[in-house]
Amino acid sequence: MLRRILLLAILAGIAGFGVFWWLTIPATVAASALPAHQADLANGREIFNAGGCSSCHAVPKQDDRLKLGGGLAIPSPFGTFYAPNISPDPNDGIGRWSEADFVTAVMKGTSPVGTHFFPAFPYTSYEHAKISDVRDLFAYLKTLPAVVGKVRDHDVPFPFNIRRNIGIWKLLFMDDKPLVADTSKSEQWNRGAYLVNSFGHCAECHSPRNFLGGIITAQRFAGGPNPEGEGWVPNITQKRLSDWSAKDISYFLESGQTPDGDSAGGAMTRVIKNTSQLSAQDRDAIAEYIKSLPAVEGPPRPKKPEKKES
Amino acid sequence: MKRIVVVAAVLAFSAGAVVAQQDQVKQTQAQMKETGKNAGALGAIVKGEKPYDQATVNTALATFEDTAKKLPTLFPESTKGLKPDGDYSASPKIWEDKAGFEQHIASYAKAVADAKGKIKDVDTLKAELGAIGKQCGGCHETFRLKKG
Repeated sequence: MLRRILLLAILAGIAGFGVFWWLTIPATVAASALPAHQADLANGREIFNAGGCSSCHAVPKQDDRLKLGGGLAIPSPFGTFYAPNISPDPNDGIGRWSEADFVTAVMKGTSPVGTHFFPAFPYTSYEHAKISDVRDLFAYLKTLPAVVGKVRDHDVPFPFNIRRNIGIWKLLFMDDKPLVADTSKSEQWNRGAYLVNSFGHCAECHSPRNFLGGIITAQRFAGGPNPEGEGWVPNITQKRLSDWSAKDISYFLESGQTPDGDSAGGAMTRVIKNTSQLSAQDRDAIAEYIKSLPAVEGPPRPKKPEKKES
Repeated sequence: MKRIVVVAAVLAFSAGAVVAQQDQVKQTQAQMKETGKNAGALGAIVKGEKPYDQATVNTALATFEDTAKKLPTLFPESTKGLKPDGDYSASPKIWEDKAGFEQHIASYAKAVADAKGKIKDVDTLKAELGAIGKQCGGCHETFRLKKG
């Protein structure tokens, strides 16, 4: 009897593991699935700036935002990530990647060796990109200088370091739904919706996250505690931005200056470095879309700390 | 009796010091607010909400210059760790990386000095305000904290 129970338990364990393994198979895009494509480098550059690639992947503490040797530390509640080298260096960067490898990485969050990337890489947003834009981006990245030097491993403790588990996370938090254009809205609005929700990945910081690190959908864009540590990321729905005009938002993305003359600080400073390089049309499109976000109450801010009197 | 006087004096002195620190923080905030207000007035011109006005530009530049001059004294060691009212507080990095902080102040001051006499119309304003604004953001990126 005991032996039979033990046997059953083992079998159940194997079956369970099999299901887990099957559920967590990293998704890929096959090279054969990519139609013929003529790369547009100018568009690739625009996408590079919209995607904010250099905010994380540029070598820190130097001014050349096109040196994508990586190395920036990205703290999170799950450990510290180190942005990898995505320069065209064949050994330390992505120089040997095929186009399909790159599309798979950006849109599925799967590495060329078939493992899950950590979602610190915002593929939950990039999955909504147009494949042609991703391919133009790849062509553009190839034109940037190769930077030598491999970045150190992520510093992520058990159990979060088991990459296979990210497969489950992806099932929970990657919505897999393509963005559908809203024909009742203007072309500019739709362009903005596309940029904000795919490459711009604004919601990744401007939304609260649950205990598993997934975005709380109902409070998308409503701000929350800074996932990288101290401070607060502001609500960018009309709850907080109602007194900003679309023009104010566009000007902010260009200059980093708020309507009352304050300047962007913290991580947004890095974002502005990218958005200031965008075309004015794309900035206006983003602004129109952000201005249209209905007011959503964000998570409550923690009580102000007691004032230190002496 | 002597002891009481000494203790009272020390207490009064330290209480005074705390008040002085709070006042310092308030002054710092007021200076920054004033700087922002002027930058906002210039922003309105660049955005086309207000017509170009040389007086507004000159006042703003004077304020920016004043801020540049005062900045090195606005964050004394004694204000470290104070949690003032308002949206922001000073990052401890101001005191941990004093050299870096001072370098930012110097480069802000230079941007302001460079802009003087150059701004004559909306286009030149846009260019110079952009250069100054970059300095504001560059420092706020690291040395200012948004509060929860």
